[in-house]
Amino acid sequence: MEKEKLVDELRNLIVTRLKLDDVKPEGIEPGAQLFGGGLGLDSIDALELVVAVEKNYGIRIPDEDVGKEAFASVNALADYIARHKGGTATCDIGGPASSDIG
Amino acid sequence: MIGLVTGGTKGIGLAIALALAKGGANVYVNYSSDEEAGERAVKELEAVSGFGRAVKADVSNPDDVAGMFQLIEKEQGRLDILVNNAGLIKDGLLMLMKDADWRKVIEVNLNGVYYCSKAALRLMVGNRGGRIINIISPSALLGRAGQCNYSASKGGVLSFTKSLAREVARLGITVNAVSPGVIETGLTEGMPEVLKKEFLGMIPLGRFGAPEEVAWAVSFLSSESAGYITGEIISVDGGLT
Repeated sequence: MEKEKLVDELRNLIVTRLKLDDVKPEGIEPGAQLFGGGLGLDSIDALELVVAVEKNYGIRIPDEDVGKEAFASVNALADYIARHKGGTATCDIGGPASSDIG
Repeated sequence: MIGLVTGGTKGIGLAIALALAKGGANVYVNYSSDEEAGERAVKELEAVSGFGRAVKADVSNPDDVAGMFQLIEKEQGRLDILVNNAGLIKDGLLMLMKDADWRKVIEVNLNGVYYCSKAALRLMVGNRGGRIINIISPSALLGRAGQCNYSASKGGVLSFTKSLAREVARLGITVNAVSPGVIETGLTEGMPEVLKKEFLGMIPLGRFGAPEEVAWAVSFLSSESAGYITGEIISVDGGLT
């Protein structure tokens, strides 16, 4: 039940944040590929969604590996949020302090 | 409007911070070690706009950078202007250059821009707008003997500017660079007369620049009026390049 609510919230968030004027929230298939799929969303749209989801749910998407997993579909995003909400979200904004620039 | 100028407590950085404040922004200035300069900069900023804040952080240290941006997020919830100005030189002929001098310059001048821009984007993307202005150098455009490390770092920032500009344009964020020539600061005061003469001979306008002249260009790029300019380099160098 909780997850269904989350899925609905996320579909609304996607439509409003990405200004998808001709898409209805319920028209977004929860299991469908979110970016690079039928919605015509790309990786730049994903950046906006990353920031919105982080702000709304207090989670952190530290890098693209996590991002790919979390943003695979609305279902995947809901699962990711459920697992990390209020948890030990990392605040890695920089990556390793290594001097390896090669 | 909220702005952050890295290395913003002295010289060109301070002039930029003051220009942004005059333009109506609440400005944070960053410094790595000189706390007194930080305090002085805050006083000057407060005199201009009623707001000033100095944040200690080594831009080449990701944890420091994370802390600095978390502070701004906590206090302001947004960032509109980032000026990546922090930088240093450790000149030396390449054959004899110390590895540590190569690394340090790349870490501060190039990696610092990476860490700060990356963190700033998180505060800008949600706002559908933002300005990132990177301070580069004629050394990036022309090269200069004794500055392989510095010119590589600034050349890196130049290319970074071009790529990031393309990446975030659709989000309403512009990314540009300003390339100051020889500017009258504490650094030039200690410059040997011979070197001063050499530089003056290369500058068509026949004089060194003032920090305020660089600040003006940055201030313009940070303004609404510059909304259609991105991926661009403005040289403020008296014709040097």
